[in-house]
Amino acid sequence: MSLRTTKQNGEWLDRTKKINFTFEGEAFTAFEGDTISSALWAAGQKVLGRSFKYHRARGVLSLANHDVNILVTDGIDTNMRADVVLVKDGMVLNAVNTIGGVKKDKNSYIDSISPLLPVGFYYKAFHTPRRFFPFWEKVIRKAAGLGIVNFDYPRILKRKLHTHCDVLVIGAGPTGLTAACVAAEAGLEVTIVDENQQAGGSLGYDRSGNVAMASQLTDLLAKVAGYSNITMITGAYAAGYYPDHLIPIVAANGITKVRAKTVIVASGAFEQPPVFRYNDLPGVMLGSAAQRLIYRYGVKPFNNGVVVTANDYGYRVALDLLAAGTKVVAVVDLRAEASPMAAEVTKRGVKVYPGHCVYEALASSDKSGVRGAIICAYDEQKNVAITAKKITLECDGIAMSAGWAPAGALLYQAGTAMQFDYAVQQFVPSRIPDGIFAAGKVNGIFELEQRINDAKRAANEALRYLGLSAPEVVTERHVGASPSHAYPMVPHDKGKNFVDFDEDIQIKDFVNAAKEGFDNIELMKRFTTVGMGPSQGKHSNMNAIRILAKIRNLPVEKIGTTTSRPFFHPTPIGHLGGRGFHSHRLTSLHQWHAEHGAVFTDIGAWKRAAYYPTVGQTKEDAIQTEAMAVRQTAGIIDGSSFGKIEVHGPDAAEFLERFFTGVYATQKVGSCRYVMLLDESGVIVDDGIASRLADDLFYLSVGTSNAAAVYREMQRSQQMWQLDLGLVNVTGAFGAINIAGPAAREILATLTDLDLSYESFPISSVRESIVAGVEARLIRVAFVSDVGYELHIPMVQVPQVWQALLDAGKKHGIRPFGSDTQRLLRLEMGHAMPGVDTDGLTNPFEIGAEWALKMSKSYFIGQRSLQILAKKPLRKRLVAFALAENFKGEMPMDCNLVLEGREILGRVTSIGYSKFIDRCIGLAFVTPAKTAIGAQFQIRTDNGSSVTATVVKTPFLKN
Amino acid sequence: MQALTPNNAVKLDAKISPAAPAQSGASVQWAVVNDMQIATAFASAEVEQARKKVLGVTDVSCFPRYGFKGPQAAQWAADHELAIPSSPNSWTLSDQKSLVLRLGGSEFVLEDQMGGVACEKLSSISARVAGVYKVPRADAAFILSGSAVLNLFAELCSLDLRPSALLANDVIMTQVAGISAIVIRQTHNGEPVYRIWCDGTYGAYMWETLIEIAVELGGGAVGLASYQH
Repeated sequence: MSLRTTKQNGEWLDRTKKINFTFEGEAFTAFEGDTISSALWAAGQKVLGRSFKYHRARGVLSLANHDVNILVTDGIDTNMRADVVLVKDGMVLNAVNTIGGVKKDKNSYIDSISPLLPVGFYYKAFHTPRRFFPFWEKVIRKAAGLGIVNFDYPRILKRKLHTHCDVLVIGAGPTGLTAACVAAEAGLEVTIVDENQQAGGSLGYDRSGNVAMASQLTDLLAKVAGYSNITMITGAYAAGYYPDHLIPIVAANGITKVRAKTVIVASGAFEQPPVFRYNDLPGVMLGSAAQRLIYRYGVKPFNNGVVVTANDYGYRVALDLLAAGTKVVAVVDLRAEASPMAAEVTKRGVKVYPGHCVYEALASSDKSGVRGAIICAYDEQKNVAITAKKITLECDGIAMSAGWAPAGALLYQAGTAMQFDYAVQQFVPSRIPDGIFAAGKVNGIFELEQRINDAKRAANEALRYLGLSAPEVVTERHVGASPSHAYPMVPHDKGKNFVDFDEDIQIKDFVNAAKEGFDNIELMKRFTTVGMGPSQGKHSNMNAIRILAKIRNLPVEKIGTTTSRPFFHPTPIGHLGGRGFHSHRLTSLHQWHAEHGAVFTDIGAWKRAAYYPTVGQTKEDAIQTEAMAVRQTAGIIDGSSFGKIEVHGPDAAEFLERFFTGVYATQKVGSCRYVMLLDESGVIVDDGIASRLADDLFYLSVGTSNAAAVYREMQRSQQMWQLDLGLVNVTGAFGAINIAGPAAREILATLTDLDLSYESFPISSVRESIVAGVEARLIRVAFVSDVGYELHIPMVQVPQVWQALLDAGKKHGIRPFGSDTQRLLRLEMGHAMPGVDTDGLTNPFEIGAEWALKMSKSYFIGQRSLQILAKKPLRKRLVAFALAENFKGEMPMDCNLVLEGREILGRVTSIGYSKFIDRCIGLAFVTPAKTAIGAQFQIRTDNGSSVTATVVKTPFLKN
Repeated sequence: MQALTPNNAVKLDAKISPAAPAQSGASVQWAVVNDMQIATAFASAEVEQARKKVLGVTDVSCFPRYGFKGPQAAQWAADHELAIPSSPNSWTLSDQKSLVLRLGGSEFVLEDQMGGVACEKLSSISARVAGVYKVPRADAAFILSGSAVLNLFAELCSLDLRPSALLANDVIMTQVAGISAIVIRQTHNGEPVYRIWCDGTYGAYMWETLIEIAVELGGGAVGLASYQH
């Protein structure tokens, strides 16, 4: 039977546009503007989903984006929130979390065995005996989670945008809209955001049967529309608060990060359900949900309804139900004291039961809806039902109004101190960080007139915060009956009185948790999982706090609240991913590498050529071929990604003395020295070469991965030391080519007039000259070969020199080699690489780099820590090792463990087969007892086999 | 600055724009400008004009640049009759043809616009001066034009770059598409445009990113030739 009403003033539907869709194979029609839930409810479909744990039938609860038992899939998206997702023509929808559909869910038997499944049962039941856990784990994992991940999900771009405004107003209810108008009137740029599809908040549906409320909203919206400096964003939620008033606004099409000068939080409050047996049946819904159904979607919540309330709001709901044509059987008020509004509903023929509760809702025979309610007197002091005289009311629905919980997540995240206000039985802000203002229900102000007044107060405070003049406005605090009940819970011997609808948590679960010792709100949350479902406790946390307070006989404020963290609402991963920027740096030779078949690898931010396989050649063969070229003739590698930093000025040497571990004050112009950077704890950060080009100019080349971090640390140190120098990061401005191998000198000599003789240009020296017509800094290095030259040249001219070297070396068989080959070559040379052969805990003593430390210097970064470490016994040491000649077993890999029995002695840091040496060689951390030349240790490979390694001397080439 | 000499052929011996690896395509017209191979056209003049109005992205990495920094940098600039901005993080034109950006208090970047010679002049000075350090520039540089340019920045930069926040001579050093960049507003041949500079090694990435969004917003690549006149 259709529950669609006649057209409501202000409804969100376009009744001229009909929509056809299916739900679980059944055809339905809707109007444009309907949500999935409103369309189904209008058509008389009461069971919309199944609960997470017990698979109980569930229907509309909030219709406010928190009906997490009503998650559906259209085959592409999963876990669509049916209460707010607009239905579209042609949709084919199915509920998630069922086997066989919502009406005949095969898992509904779980409800009947629920006494066997109390909260936390699986913590205890399945972890012993351990051998059975893998079995239970599969069962639990299958039962856990909602929806099925669609691995064929199309990549749909969700943009992440940045915007800026003077005032961000969160919540477009009457409070937010009023605050926005005040700020806009002052000429400020205002953005107002609301998660609903249309603005208006409660002004759109909380009418108390009074149609004049609709025109009040229309007038307010018209006023807002008149301000060109107000940007209205609806259908999007403010997902979190980050420092300096950065608020991500999440909409269907992406995230907008709003940076505001000031923020007004007018986010309202979540209506809270009273807790009674079977308060989860389809047809039992929040009063505000019933109002939303009526006024937004023109749908009657039910035909014969009972309103159970614990505040005056329930009476407003009753009047709205009457206006929609629902027969209101009774208003059942937990409070003994009669509401001033009782007379009004009584006048309309509705019986009021003050001091009564709904003891339990009666389920229809198939548990798919409500057939009645058993009510009885309620003892407000003891919070128990007095069941001596029970009354059964026939009805097909129950509207619940027990109170509110502030939508204060962003306030909490901003660092707002909250206090419990007994006048409204609610946490309200007591101290808010600068630039943030709260107004309306979230601030504990409930009367409409006072909310509007509070909006003006908050807006004026925001204006004054921004340096504008604005009058003081005083808001009257709440007087009279509290809008929230202190304890709207009705215990029942048979339970099923649900506190958390997401996780099917009942009152007794809290009692049991407390008995188990989980009587702190954070512990109780984790043990019971209250508030850990998709609605994140928006309808359960406050009741959980009240229950715990009662169990512990403490005031609510002593229990406190759980921590609120961004994001306020579940946000799709695709939104967080956004466009997916992957910044990367290319050397000026990138195109050349690509054209010559390079396989690229990411090192730091760079795309580097790893190796150059010929057609049909394996990676291993390509690397060995390239390495052999370097050993036998010559090879060149594009080293443009190396970090390159100039240190200029009279204090340049002093800076290096402090920054690195070695000695530079006495370094001669034209010479190079090793540099090692430590952090303050003595851990190796990076290493490189310092080339002295002049008394007051050092040219540093450091590793690719850490270059940016090293430069940043240099800048930070200079800020502290204030030496007379200038730091210039030339990493991107200079490229570098390393030509290495026995023929390197002969090839290079054809391109430069520089005297390359070993006497004139020995190892560890630097020269400035012209190479292939390009100004270059030449550094004699022995990183991958005893004969090697690094040529540092302007980045844009690297291709010119590269080509010249290839041409000049053609007759020698010169060939390019990549970074993977470079790693093998340096391993053959026995060089450890920071970040490869060290980790975030490795100090110089552990890699045998004592030679690089000048401990007698007055200071260098990390020196003090090294002094302490030097007095302690070594726990590990890097050694060079080789596997047996002609080793044919399972090849160990980087990071494979070094074991002795079950004891871990260390790990392999680098390993590879060297064709030139014809041995498998590597570096590994081992305990000090295993470092002697000839010592042997076992490496466990990926397949579990053990391989014997023998400690050898370096460089391997001379073994 | 040299005149454009359009040529379809890629000259292997010339310096190449750092954004070039991302600019391949049969329709791209190339020319050597200031000793650097640069894309002068990506489409017909009509198409490029339409793109410029919405969101045009032009590679101007070939503009000559010169950088220097140090405690005496401002004095050194004055000694060489270079007009510099009086306040940090702002820019000015020297001789009407050379853009002078002041990064912080003691670092400067010059960029010669069409016809500018300041960079060449300063580059010829080889003497090192105490307190002045040359900063080699290898930037990728771009001009962004059109009505949707702020929509592009909204996705790429967290700062407010609207004219009300980024004043006419402001220089902003920020992150664009996740990498360090310099941004200013400028009038180029009478057109209001935005300028972006980033490290040249990020040039191809920046170009790819700018073009991807520009195309989505109805714009696209515009060759240097459209700024020649």
